[in-house]
Amino acid sequence: MRFRSKLTVQILTGVVVAFAVLCGLVSYIGYCEFTEALEDQYEARAYSTARTAETFITPGFLSSVDLLSPEWRAKYDRIRGEWQRLANTQGATFIYLYRKLDRGYERFSVVMSVMNSSAPYTVFASGSVLDNMPEIYQPAYKKIYEDEDADRAVVTVYREEFGSDEFKSGDHITVLLPIRDAQGGVRAVLGVERQMQELQNVRRTYVRDVLLTTATLLLVALLLYGWYLNRRLLNPIEKIASEALRFARENTHPSVPLRQSITGSDEIGQLARTIDQMEIDIRDYIEDLTRITREKEQIQAELNVATQIQADMLPRKFPPFPERKEFALYATMTPAKEVGGDFYDFFLIDDDHLALVIADVSGKGVPAALFMVIAKTLIKNRAAMGGSPAEILGTVNNQLCDGNEAGLFVTVWLGILEISTGKIAAANAGHEYPAVKRADGVWNLMKAKHSPAVAVREGLAFRESEFELRPGDSLYLYTDGVAEATNAENELYGTARMIEALNRHADEPVEQLLPSMKSEVDAFVGEAPQFDDITMVTLRYFGG
Amino acid sequence: MKIDKTQKGAELTVALEGRLDTVTAPELEASLGELAGVTKLIIDMAKLVYVSSAGLRVLLAAQKKMDGNGGSMTVRNANEEIKEIFEVTGFDEILTIEA
Repeated sequence: MRFRSKLTVQILTGVVVAFAVLCGLVSYIGYCEFTEALEDQYEARAYSTARTAETFITPGFLSSVDLLSPEWRAKYDRIRGEWQRLANTQGATFIYLYRKLDRGYERFSVVMSVMNSSAPYTVFASGSVLDNMPEIYQPAYKKIYEDEDADRAVVTVYREEFGSDEFKSGDHITVLLPIRDAQGGVRAVLGVERQMQELQNVRRTYVRDVLLTTATLLLVALLLYGWYLNRRLLNPIEKIASEALRFARENTHPSVPLRQSITGSDEIGQLARTIDQMEIDIRDYIEDLTRITREKEQIQAELNVATQIQADMLPRKFPPFPERKEFALYATMTPAKEVGGDFYDFFLIDDDHLALVIADVSGKGVPAALFMVIAKTLIKNRAAMGGSPAEILGTVNNQLCDGNEAGLFVTVWLGILEISTGKIAAANAGHEYPAVKRADGVWNLMKAKHSPAVAVREGLAFRESEFELRPGDSLYLYTDGVAEATNAENELYGTARMIEALNRHADEPVEQLLPSMKSEVDAFVGEAPQFDDITMVTLRYFGG
Repeated sequence: MKIDKTQKGAELTVALEGRLDTVTAPELEASLGELAGVTKLIIDMAKLVYVSSAGLRVLLAAQKKMDGNGGSMTVRNANEEIKEIFEVTGFDEILTIEA
């Protein structure tokens, strides 16, 4: 068995500790039980010896104690002889007969005392007086003398408990019997003492055997358990761990899946199958992600081309009509997303008529851009055929409503300038009010009646208004990307700020005015993202 | 934006809160759905602060759906700024706008 992981050591340490505690507990319980059983056995044997010794005491022996009387001496010698044989054959250490001398239980006189011939002690002589009975015995003597029902008293003495060499004998058990007269009074106490040397030996052997056996069993169990743990738990876990590590590093499918080497329906088997499945899922996911990213990059590239196409559709050559000295024109568009819904347009319908268009398709992105392309084309084509702005928008409206399932619409300001006179006919389909600056005045919004946005509903009739530009006047067209630019505090830029900004830059030529206005809007918006396309067109009229 | 819908029989009241712009307009469009079985649609704009052109498109789509199933749609409690947006874009001529 190899200890190769921390887990193994931890688990086995736990098991060893648990086994050791169990082992100690078993030994201790066995030790106690064993001691109790042996003590009972010693007591029974001492008691039976005492009962036998009692039978030798003849009636009257105690009523006429006289050591000098030859008659009494004869009785005494006979009893002593029997007791000596009894002690030797029964294995008792002492058999003795004591009489209490006064009220307490400290002083006794020795009537008779015999000792096992093999015991290395000495006996008290008959007639001698014991002056201080050890305290450990006194309650037993008290019981014998005072308890009328007592047939015995038992004292167990362990030398280590007793704590002195006062008794030269080792661990022993003493059984005391009362010797009563005919009236039931206690005349003397018969004692039998047995050494418990055997108990010590047997017990020591027992404990040693138990410990040895359990230790051996423990070792065997540990080896078996460790082997089992290794085979069923640690080996598979290590395999799973190293596979997970490998996968994290290499991100490839394993040459051999875990489920082939780790079978079984337990949690380890489940874990192995789950890891297998997880690796497959992650691989699939990574492949999907790679594919999607590739596709997204492709779409992005196509969108970039679309942005370019859209930008190319708007006239971007400035000045657009260098041969025309009657007016100056400039326009910009900054889309919020790659392709936007705003557009502007300007073109000469004939030598004396310039069309100006600014428009904003609802929504953003590709759908808005597609709608914008259609709207721009339709307006330009329809305008080329002649007619008033209202007529042009009316036709375009009906064309755009046709098949407009997405519900997109476009706000348009369309104006046609008569270059020779400066007169402008305009139709405003839901678009922002244009701003006008007179030659010697300031910028102001030019408010005129609106019509709904183009493509909102079929058959709309558009209102038309007229105003005149005099030499030196300017016109500013814009989309809601300007008026509704929003800063981080969710405040709208608004037309009031726009007019103020226009007046700050009133003297700038057209090519400078629009970049200045863009900077003004950017300064207001600050760090907030640009939500809408920002589109502006400006025209300065110099006269026909 | 918060959209709070209350339906009483065939009458659906939709209370809007916040900004109805490019980001939130698709939410409203999805929330309104096909408007099947609704004959009276009320858009309550008391707590709405802004409507962009994308928002107008959703309102227009709802108006067209209501027209299509013979119902009516009313816009209520629009604030001055939103009313101006309706006016500027000509939507005041398309939608029924109540005070």
